Amino acid sequence: MVGLQRAMSGSLLRQQVLANNLANANTPGFKRSDVDFHGALAQAFSNQPTPQDVAGTEFSVVTDRSTTMRADGNNVDVDVEMSNLSENTLDYQSLTSVLRSRIGILETAIGQVR
Amino acid sequence: MGMFDALNISASGMSAERLRMDVIAENLANANTTRGANGQPYQRQEVILQERAPSFGEVLGGVMVTGIVPDATPGRRVYDPGHPDADKEGYVTLPNVNPVSEMVDLITSSRGYEANVTAMNAAKQMFSKTFDVLR
Repeated sequence: MVGLQRAMSGSLLRQQVLANNLANANTPGFKRSDVDFHGALAQAFSNQPTPQDVAGTEFSVVTDRSTTMRADGNNVDVDVEMSNLSENTLDYQSLTSVLRSRIGILETAIGQVR
Repeated sequence: MGMFDALNISASGMSAERLRMDVIAENLANANTTRGANGQPYQRQEVILQERAPSFGEVLGGVMVTGIVPDATPGRRVYDPGHPDADKEGYVTLPNVNPVSEMVDLITSSRGYEANVTAMNAAKQMFSKTFDVLR
């Protein structure tokens, strides 16, 4: 559950970062950023973590300064951002449905609350 | 971190692109204006965009408009001695608006606007999924 929670907030953060890239698609000199929350969580899970370790996983926003798309120095590729955006939305939907079924299991265990 | 920051970021992009469209429309409308507000030929205006620094509690701030500045490149001169705004040699200075590049800018801003709308819809979908968990 803690892992799901962190992954969901990582996905929400990534949504913000991708929205920011799109909002600045026409800003001269802007460089795109991204969040690798999957990588950060995979790292946290790799060595028998306690729930506290997982809950404390921090996600860092990384700016890609190495590439340039246009003469004005901007490196936002709208098509790439769009595919990232739909990937992230599906990621989040899968996380919420897993969380929903986990809650369903808990409800069954408690004894049909509803 | 506010939950709906993603919506604000997309909204900032949408309003910036909409302002660009307004300014492009103004440039196109005045493509042949030989008398601007200051009596001189109209000068094409340009919107300057800048990444907005995040305020307290935000991760990212979106985009902001720092200003609308005139483009100082000289205008096209056309020989038309009968024109009331012609100079001594009979030349009229037309605005430095190039309708073709304005149209290209119009397309980029309208595509940019659409991209922001898509991002906003994706965020909305995610939020409604969050509420579904609680149902």
